[in-house]
Amino acid sequence: MASNKNISPYKLIYAVVNFGKGSEVLRIARENGISGGTILLGRGTVRSGLLNFFALYEIRKEIVLIVANNRTAKSLLEALDREMMLDRPDHGIAFTVDIQEVEGSKELGCNSLQEGRGEKEIMYQLITVIVDRGKAEEVIDAATEMGSKGGTVINARGSGVHERSTLFAMEIEPEKEIVMIVSKKELTQTIVNKIREKLRIDEPGKGIIFIQDVGDAYGLLK
Amino acid sequence: MNLLLEKLKEVLLAVLPITVLVLVLNFLFVSLSWFLIFRFVIGSFLIVVGLSAFLFGVSIGISPIGNFMGTFIAKTNKLWIVAVAGLVLGFFISIAEPALHIHALQVELVSSGILSSGSVVITASIGIAVFLSLGLIRIVFNVALKKLMTVSYGIILILSLFSSRELLAISFDASGATTGAMTVPFIVTLAAGISVLKRDSRSSENDSFGLLGIASAGAIISVLLVGLVSTNNTMEAAPVYFASESSEILGYFFDLMPRIASEVLLSLLPILLAFLLLQFSSLRLSKRMLRQITVGLLFTFVGMVIFLVGVNGGFMDVGREIGYGIASMGNKSILVLVGMILGLVTILAEPSVYVLTHQIEDVTSGAVKRRIVLLALSAGVGLAVALSMIRIAVPAVQLWHFLLPGYAISIVLSFFSPKLFVGIAFDAGGVASGPMTGTFVIAFAQGAASAIEGANVLIDAFGLISMVAMTPIIALQILGLIYKIKTRKRGVESSG
Repeated sequence: MASNKNISPYKLIYAVVNFGKGSEVLRIARENGISGGTILLGRGTVRSGLLNFFALYEIRKEIVLIVANNRTAKSLLEALDREMMLDRPDHGIAFTVDIQEVEGSKELGCNSLQEGRGEKEIMYQLITVIVDRGKAEEVIDAATEMGSKGGTVINARGSGVHERSTLFAMEIEPEKEIVMIVSKKELTQTIVNKIREKLRIDEPGKGIIFIQDVGDAYGLLK
Repeated sequence: MNLLLEKLKEVLLAVLPITVLVLVLNFLFVSLSWFLIFRFVIGSFLIVVGLSAFLFGVSIGISPIGNFMGTFIAKTNKLWIVAVAGLVLGFFISIAEPALHIHALQVELVSSGILSSGSVVITASIGIAVFLSLGLIRIVFNVALKKLMTVSYGIILILSLFSSRELLAISFDASGATTGAMTVPFIVTLAAGISVLKRDSRSSENDSFGLLGIASAGAIISVLLVGLVSTNNTMEAAPVYFASESSEILGYFFDLMPRIASEVLLSLLPILLAFLLLQFSSLRLSKRMLRQITVGLLFTFVGMVIFLVGVNGGFMDVGREIGYGIASMGNKSILVLVGMILGLVTILAEPSVYVLTHQIEDVTSGAVKRRIVLLALSAGVGLAVALSMIRIAVPAVQLWHFLLPGYAISIVLSFFSPKLFVGIAFDAGGVASGPMTGTFVIAFAQGAASAIEGANVLIDAFGLISMVAMTPIIALQILGLIYKIKTRKRGVESSG
């Protein structure tokens, strides 16, 4: 499959929805001709004074990852926006990130129909931060301070070169948290800098940050 | 706001079936006094409010504590710390469990004082402590749950061959009683806190469950042992009196409050102390996390008090009246049928059930759906209550006729069912026997027993918890088998 150097043929769709709605996203995807997706459990931030008063800072979310070719991705996003009513607050968000190549799925369809859709201007970026368990809160705080509207946290495990070890007979991997924050492009750098500074990311073993361009996005707070 | 409403809706859906059922029974078979119905409706309302608050509190308070504790214990990498932590936590959590004390008092009555209530409480707590410790060690050394369960229940089987039917019922019930609404979330998350560290995610998922089941087996073994040694197997049932009814409606609920509040506080205390110790020795959580946990514990406390006041004040007498009314109609098949439906719907309102099913969703990333687990649990408990009604109605049928084959089947199934479900199933056994079953269904059984000649109120009501604790183990392992078969098929389809 010849891939265009500049315009990627495929999109990775992230849909972050309330707990229990992940299967619905997959159903809508199937109706739009997509054969499958993967659901992760995550936690989203809550920005209600009342709920925060009750010490409720997080709400369970499901993150659905779907790979599709450009055209299907676009129609799926529109369908998701319509059916899940993403334009209303707290109904979830959906956005895409470019990917260059996909293996292992025949059903994505040949992308010959992909025409020179002019490079759209990037408005949003996805900031992904991977830190030790318990630090996600600080990451979100730092981001919010710089104008981010919130983020999603996924529990994860993993380790750098030196971190693997055993406890008793268990091989263990240190627990991590992945924080995903979608930010306006012009805010990205300040948010990232704040996180770097607050969590001292530049020191070894403190975590990593990477940034991706977001194609289309629905449901983000203005 | 959305979130709080959703919790409330969830709980409402859980409590509504039982409320509707009782009201229907009231019009069909037994007409209760308006006074009782009024109290029942208030009770239902309190249960909805209390359960919502409790579950919310558990999710932000007790569960994090359990998780932190589990992770902390494992990270010490010292065997003696794991062992001692299991012993200490297990002992104090179960000794503080109100349901165990109530059970022990009844045992003292039944055994005419041979088994004092104090000795039952301490024996059961030691059993829980030792086995909780073993259970924690199992997780860190990757010992298969089914092996430990096979050995435990093998011992139980051998011991039970020598024990009287009363002792058998008492020991199984003691284990059900110790795993109360406070204990369950703590133990379940404790196990998860350790196993989440594991590199192999499959075994990390599997080992999140089963700790509660192991602890329950410990209580059975210890009470059986002590009972065999100290009573020479002779027990006579003594007559029992029920507390008289108070005539004021609201006053009745208020009267219950102080006793229940102190009981709940007591059962919360070991968890709180353990947490404080951990926090000040090494954990040092952020201020926000501390605030969250404090609010969570507060909600847990208030919620549980309201819940228990609702159950005790509104449900207990109604359960007894309905049991009595339906049994005295003389039609035994109706009794069995009503018992089954009662079991089906009561379990939905059991607090620990929520905790476990949510934990299952969290651990399996939603692959094992809550609703399906609830369905299996509900079917299991329905069967358990139905069988218990048969036992009450037909004196020739003994508890061990069900219990021993039941546990034999459970053990055999554990070799075929997926590991994850084996763990979930044995945990579910402890979960099903919570405060809702412990009061409402037991009251129903006692009522039924008192209407049937040849049935003994206490003996027959004893053993009900054992049944409720056993059938979910089978039901969920069968569910596991179904999952195994179904997912295999789906795999073939997608590759074709």
